[in-house]
Amino acid sequence: MRKKPKIAIFSLTSCEGCQFALFNLGEKFFNFLRKVELAQCSLLEEESLKCDLFDIAFIEGNPITKDDFKILKEAREKAKILVALGNCAALGGIPEMKNYQNKEKTIRIIYKHVDNIANPEIKEIDNFVKVDFSIPGCPINGEEFLRLANELVEGKIPEIPQKPVCTECPLAGTKDCLLRKKEPCLGPITLAGCRAICPKSRVMCYGCRGIFKNINPKNFIIFLKRIRSQEEIEENLEIFGIKDDVKKFL
Amino acid sequence: MKKIIIPHIHKIEGEAGFWAEVSRDGKIEKLRLQTLLGLRQIEGILIGRRVEEVPIVVSRICGICPVVHILNACRALENTLEVKPSSLTTLLRKLLLAAQIIQSHALHLFFLALPDFFNIENDLDLMKRFKKEARAALKIREFSLRVTEIIGGRAIHPMRPQIGGFSKLPDKRDIQKLSKDLSEVYDAALFLVKTFQNLSYPSLQRKTNFVSLSPKKEYAFYQGEYILTPKTFSIGDFFSSKIEEDLRRPPVKRVKHLGKPYMLGAIARIKNNQDLLSDEAKKSLGIFFKNHNLTSEKFFENTFYNLFCQTIEILHFLKKIGKLIQEILKQDLKERPFKLKIQKGSSLSAMEAPRGTLFTYFEVDTNGRILDCDIITPTAQFLNNLEEDLKVYLGNLLKVSPDERIRKIRALIRAYDPCISCATH
Repeated sequence: MRKKPKIAIFSLTSCEGCQFALFNLGEKFFNFLRKVELAQCSLLEEESLKCDLFDIAFIEGNPITKDDFKILKEAREKAKILVALGNCAALGGIPEMKNYQNKEKTIRIIYKHVDNIANPEIKEIDNFVKVDFSIPGCPINGEEFLRLANELVEGKIPEIPQKPVCTECPLAGTKDCLLRKKEPCLGPITLAGCRAICPKSRVMCYGCRGIFKNINPKNFIIFLKRIRSQEEIEENLEIFGIKDDVKKFL
Repeated sequence: MKKIIIPHIHKIEGEAGFWAEVSRDGKIEKLRLQTLLGLRQIEGILIGRRVEEVPIVVSRICGICPVVHILNACRALENTLEVKPSSLTTLLRKLLLAAQIIQSHALHLFFLALPDFFNIENDLDLMKRFKKEARAALKIREFSLRVTEIIGGRAIHPMRPQIGGFSKLPDKRDIQKLSKDLSEVYDAALFLVKTFQNLSYPSLQRKTNFVSLSPKKEYAFYQGEYILTPKTFSIGDFFSSKIEEDLRRPPVKRVKHLGKPYMLGAIARIKNNQDLLSDEAKKSLGIFFKNHNLTSEKFFENTFYNLFCQTIEILHFLKKIGKLIQEILKQDLKERPFKLKIQKGSSLSAMEAPRGTLFTYFEVDTNGRILDCDIITPTAQFLNNLEEDLKVYLGNLLKVSPDERIRKIRALIRAYDPCISCATH
């Protein structure tokens, strides 16, 4: 019998929602775990196996504390494939909103004495280690994870079809396009795969899956400026950490 | 002097470390529970942001209990902006909140806490040994997640609940389907109650104060005007002058009530609202007292029984879900267009999260931007109580082997069901 691939799930500072997205798959997730050896997962196991090498390490969250950075570095050293799990690890996520404020001021809103509190600028994990693949979304979509993870355990780097959320919106049963109603939505520049879960619920797409490859969002931003103020557009881009990615094109 | 250190406690929401110093004659000199997550500064991030963004951001405080963060923020902002949600909105929110509590309890009880009673350190081993219990827990979770998905649009970080109501209402047929599946889920819950009924719980004895909401007509969860400690306070009075946040131990602002630690969550709600439990939940609690030969007083002195209280709440809230569904089905599920009117002001809201009372406070300026914000989570409130319990419990454990001692300390920490993500937001 072929040896089972070793996988590890590491959680840096985060809400742990992406790990729960896996857990919420119930039986399906446990069936997936039968195909692999779960070498590290602090939510399911008390002690981590002392392991020198993982086939795949999944990283959730943002590096904020010294320990977070240590775990991230160690995971990279031990893993053949390192995967960013979810919006925070891949794009900075909600905590990255802090970068657009004065970070010394932001922390003082919460604490008076801040000397011993880690307060780094929030950065995507690929600023610190090489990332082989990113599973997008806030939170990730469990079903999509299974599909991608099954390819990863076979040693392949999967591909997510590069197309906008708008291609999925009508299929999801959305009847009234927000943009057509002159309401903002980032669907046209955001990577599909979520089945337009937010616009379907009449909530604008905030781009939590990131902008898809090979597009230039410049014209779309110019279009948005016709219906909303520059300030509001920029604030919407800040929520899931894509402002820096979009700005490169402007 | 002997040091007892557990660097990483796994199998809780987030991570924590334990550290204690015991003198040669067995006196516990120092004891500390240290949370091990970074500070994301959610409260700071919210300052200056538009009110509409608040539900999206506070949801990300916690991946296990996002619903209560969203709902409590929406209500605080509605109070501020003088928006009155419709009766249908309130019913749907209550349904979401009941499902939230059940979902979190079921995860904690089976996957995080039960293994401690059998010295199992890995959930995959647990599932092999307790197949029927695993099926029951998964069934309860699957149902409560489905409720969240149908009403909220997604199981984790639901996007439909907003200030004023819901961006989209659920399909009536989906709710009818929930109603049909409920009895099977209830049977699974009864089975889980039985499992926890028959466990042998460690002994622990320490008196404390129990804090929860105190509604007059229904068991504490959604409506929140008063706090029971057991004295009654208005939530405003309790929040502004009866508790104090300790800023000396970041990244958690620990809270005391009139200088003392206190307990929240399932065991506190049951202590304060016992008479308002569903009939079957009350009966199961009575049977537990009898089988374990316990007086009510002794029961509430041992926090390990928080676990059984969570199973009782699953029963209670499943019954509540049944009633809410019937009321919702009587209504016309049609959206009413809603436009947010901005005005300045401030308000506080309190709601029962799975782990206890959550306080959310906002101040809004004339442009509809957040001026001030304070979010006090249950875990930040009960960490002091947990340390006090650990001091007593560690005193009982000085003669057992070091491995056994560490296992038992971890078990007590897990009985509290701490949520470190919430505590360190």
